[in-house]
Amino acid sequence: MLRAMIRRTLLSVLILFLVAIFVFLATEVLPGDALDVYLSEDDVAVMTEEDIEEMRHDLGLDIPAPIRFFTWLSGAVVGDFGVTIVDQIPIGNIIFHPLLNSLQLGAIITLITMPVAFAIGATAGYWRGQRTDAVVSTTTIIGYSIPDFVIGTVLIIIFAVWIPLFPAVITAYNKAHPMELLAVSLLPAITVIIGHVAHLSRLLRAGFIETMNSDFVERARLSGVPERRVVWRHVLPASVIPTLNAMALYMAGVLSGLIVVEKVFGYPGLGIELIEAVDTREVHVVQAIAFLGAVLVVVMNLLADFAIIALDPRVRSHVSER
Amino acid sequence: MLVNGKSLGAILTHSPGTTVGVILVSLHLLNALFAPLLIPYGETQLVGQPMLEPGHANFLLGTDVIGRDFLSRLMMGGRTSITVAMVGVLGAVLIGTFFAVSAAYIGGFYDDVIMRIVDTKLSIPGILFVALFVVGFGRSVTVLTIVIGLSYFPGAVRTIRSQAMTQVPLAYVKAARLRGESTLSVIFRELTPNVVEVVVVEFAIRTSSAILIVSALSFLGLGISPPTPDWGLMVSEGVNQIYQAPWLILFPAVFISTLVVGLNFASDGLANALGLDAARGLHGG
Amino acid sequence: MPLLEVKDLRIAYQNPSTGEQMLAVDGVSFKVEPGETLGIVGESGCGKSTLARALMAYCRPGGVIVGGEVLFDGNNILEFTDEQIRELRGRRMAMVPQDPLTSLTYHMKVGPQIDEILKIHQQLGAHAARLSTLKLFEGTNLPTPEKSYGRYPHENSGGQRQRVVIAGALACQPDLLILDEPTTALDTTTEMQVLKLVKELRDRMGTALIYITHDLTLTDYICENVLVMREGKVVERGKATEIFSAPQTDYGKMLVAAIPRVDAAFPEPAPAIDKQEASTATLLLNVENLSYRYAQRWSIDALFNPQQEELAVDNVSFELRRGETLGLVGESGSGKSTIANIVVGLMAPTSGEVAFDGASINMIDKFRSAELRRRIQIIFQDPLSSLNPRRRIESILTRPLKIFFGMSGAAARDRAVELLEDMELSADLLKRFPRQLSGGQQQRVAIARAFTAKPDLILCDEVTSALDVSVQAHVLELLKGIQNKTGAASLFISHDLGVVKQVADDTVVLQKGHIVDAGTTRSVFGDPTHTYTKLLLAAASRREDYADLSTAAPTTAGALRGR
Repeated sequence: MLRAMIRRTLLSVLILFLVAIFVFLATEVLPGDALDVYLSEDDVAVMTEEDIEEMRHDLGLDIPAPIRFFTWLSGAVVGDFGVTIVDQIPIGNIIFHPLLNSLQLGAIITLITMPVAFAIGATAGYWRGQRTDAVVSTTTIIGYSIPDFVIGTVLIIIFAVWIPLFPAVITAYNKAHPMELLAVSLLPAITVIIGHVAHLSRLLRAGFIETMNSDFVERARLSGVPERRVVWRHVLPASVIPTLNAMALYMAGVLSGLIVVEKVFGYPGLGIELIEAVDTREVHVVQAIAFLGAVLVVVMNLLADFAIIALDPRVRSHVSER
Repeated sequence: MLVNGKSLGAILTHSPGTTVGVILVSLHLLNALFAPLLIPYGETQLVGQPMLEPGHANFLLGTDVIGRDFLSRLMMGGRTSITVAMVGVLGAVLIGTFFAVSAAYIGGFYDDVIMRIVDTKLSIPGILFVALFVVGFGRSVTVLTIVIGLSYFPGAVRTIRSQAMTQVPLAYVKAARLRGESTLSVIFRELTPNVVEVVVVEFAIRTSSAILIVSALSFLGLGISPPTPDWGLMVSEGVNQIYQAPWLILFPAVFISTLVVGLNFASDGLANALGLDAARGLHGG
Repeated sequence: MPLLEVKDLRIAYQNPSTGEQMLAVDGVSFKVEPGETLGIVGESGCGKSTLARALMAYCRPGGVIVGGEVLFDGNNILEFTDEQIRELRGRRMAMVPQDPLTSLTYHMKVGPQIDEILKIHQQLGAHAARLSTLKLFEGTNLPTPEKSYGRYPHENSGGQRQRVVIAGALACQPDLLILDEPTTALDTTTEMQVLKLVKELRDRMGTALIYITHDLTLTDYICENVLVMREGKVVERGKATEIFSAPQTDYGKMLVAAIPRVDAAFPEPAPAIDKQEASTATLLLNVENLSYRYAQRWSIDALFNPQQEELAVDNVSFELRRGETLGLVGESGSGKSTIANIVVGLMAPTSGEVAFDGASINMIDKFRSAELRRRIQIIFQDPLSSLNPRRRIESILTRPLKIFFGMSGAAARDRAVELLEDMELSADLLKRFPRQLSGGQQQRVAIARAFTAKPDLILCDEVTSALDVSVQAHVLELLKGIQNKTGAASLFISHDLGVVKQVADDTVVLQKGHIVDAGTTRSVFGDPTHTYTKLLLAAASRREDYADLSTAAPTTAGALRGR
């Protein structure tokens, strides 16, 4: 069991290393270095070759790419992502509070999404093919088909414009108190939750139905085990296990969703920072945020792997298959 | 056309939801195809007073913030994102099929390398992935299409590979190998025809997801740039007028939502009719 | 009053896409007296398992009981409330399912799964339930009850799992025990142990027994009365011994006649001329000191998880002459399929020498010449999966013709039709897809495909095991026919001793990768010298002295412990 967990952890580290290479390649090598990306055509037109070379030297971009990569990576591991191009502010300082704010919102969303999706998925799966199931299926398809930004904006129109219960735009700052942010998190959270509950509940429904049709459920029923016990003791653990990895991947979706709702509601999180950084072409900030996002996804996936190892005795003894 | 012994007609009218989906998608596709012939005004032309209300004598749905005909913009507003999504996903699924099937058949180190690349991409949340490319390569329709292709490639490889893995150990593949078929021949002639259903469903499901992503990107200002009309962009342009002219948001919202709802109903029906599980193909990203 | 009475029971399945109903069980009636043993026999798809579940008022999703009654103790249980029927299940009537591995909940240890039944029906506390379960495990001859109790299902062997499931079914000493093909997932020797156990338990507890199987010899061994089912209907019923010795209906006769039996007479010796030719015939395949160890595939996973595999084939030698048939017999895991894979080139031997027509063929297929690949052909176990589902039969048969002989168009088509005719199939099949054919037809197409190459050696890997008994014999006959016609030699691999006895000139018996017995089929079967061979023969002919043999042969205990 321990060996399986170590193995999974090492694989995750490998994946993160590959992510780092990819992030670096996509921004600093393939399109040219960070300065090429940063400077617009107008900038280049008014600057001399020497100016650009000097800037490149100041930013340390004249060092060969592989060395720069390892310098960047060794910094990134301890949370040092370098400085911004325009005014040399440490990137860690810029993104620290937005990161916490985003994590807080993301945690709220995840904590609500999981149990709700679970209840809906199991209910629909248990009464498969019946009215409840049909209603759930139709609603969930609609739920994940409507874009987050549409749900968010429509919620604003309804609950801020037509019925003025909430402010249309959140005015909290980066360093706002967590409780203050919590108070304005309701609409953004609902916006993301709708789509993700819809997605996850469909996944869980499929897992639940598959388990309900398995031989061991039939044996339990034919042994006179009460239905309630069949569902709770035999079916539920078995239907969750195969969906855990997929659930972890959905957290990647929550992150994407967060970026959108932060923009819609003006929530002071990483999404706002990201869009600003793309607009001002601050390559290093985008790199840092993308890398942190991947770290989060990989960690979630690793936790899912651990949960599977803990829950599924078959995986514990045959770690080789995947 | 017969798939699994079912006619295309039977598949498309599998359930009421599927029928509704197929009708919605058809209407949207017809509109996207013929909109240039139907629109009353040029979609980027300034033709009237700004922010005229819907129901105006000359402008059925009024005008936008700077006085362009809103109906014309709405009708044209899906073309770019639909094209970007379809071309990107089609490329991803077609190339992905080759890599998926060959990885499943050849296995070993080759398979490992492909799957680790897939894992790497799946670890980077969708919008962050696009943001990396947009900041590096700038925003244009070409970059966007390629990025969409790259975004959906790994997921497609994963789903199609797992289907191919169910086929590889079967005796017909061994039989082909033993009579001396080349590796490419086994991949294309023997295996690929047996993963076609999954490929079709992958394409359908991922296209709708790609349309969502493209419009979200446009909303964020990372996707299609003005003055090209795009529903996601139109919603974000309308946000500042949310008190005075909420319809500037609501109309594009309805257009984009009906398209994606239709696509998802249709692909769910398609997956059901082919005996596949649509929920399995919906891995985030 | 009978314990169980079934009156005109009809069960239908609804096709989910077309909505039309198909009767799986069509007007079945019978009675079971207390303590009686009834066998229900039929081929796959005859509705016997659906019937078995309906006896406990249970249908799988999509199935509906559309008519009839199931009277248990005189009460129609089909009219019971959910709660009433639940009270009955596991307490008064119990079921032993087909596959014990999938039938036990994989994320629970096996002991608590039996405790659960005792807690529910006998209101036992945790400790009392555990003690009862351990006692039940002892009663079903589990070697180490305490250990098994704390294991997960997959950690027990196949035989152990089936004993656990039987213990669960017997937990509340039911009046009626239904066994649904309980041994199909087991090896012959393990199967025999489980059967013996069932018989003992029946005698000890006086439980009425319904035994569902496709194998008539099993009912003969274990049952007093038998029902023969076909297409949802009972076509024959009576005393087990009578049906077995003198079946009344054509279907019954056909079923009995088709059984490949080890205790049947040897087939007619081949004409003397042939025989002489055979003995002087040249050596075709010579296998010397062949060993095979599963090498671990290189992968990132493997780096973290190194494994040591034991030898799958260990120092095996045999030879096969032109035109002759050599039977390779053994249970699953005996290495017989590995040998076939090496000969055909899917694997390369770890050590040893395989020579074909005097030349070494130690290499895998991609290093073999096209000519060599043509001369050795293989027929696989599962006919459906050996034919590409997306290719028409015409393409399946003409493709090898094109590859091996460069034939195409009408010539290839004519040749394909010819081969189909050899297999007694009509040319109409050319336009069909494999799924549109029956299992027997599919296997005949697979045989035809192997013979498109005009091979000198044909490997038959369990070619009849996936087929129903009634078609097995015919397929074997056609195979022998085309083999004689073309003069191909055959390496015939099977776990079924009866089949091998019918077709093989020589036989090699394998156990865990070793040869334990070899010689002419007549000597191996007629006068077995090795204990393991005796054991296999006894198990295959359902002889009672089986158990004595198994205790007398401690060296084979490993094989008996299961798969």
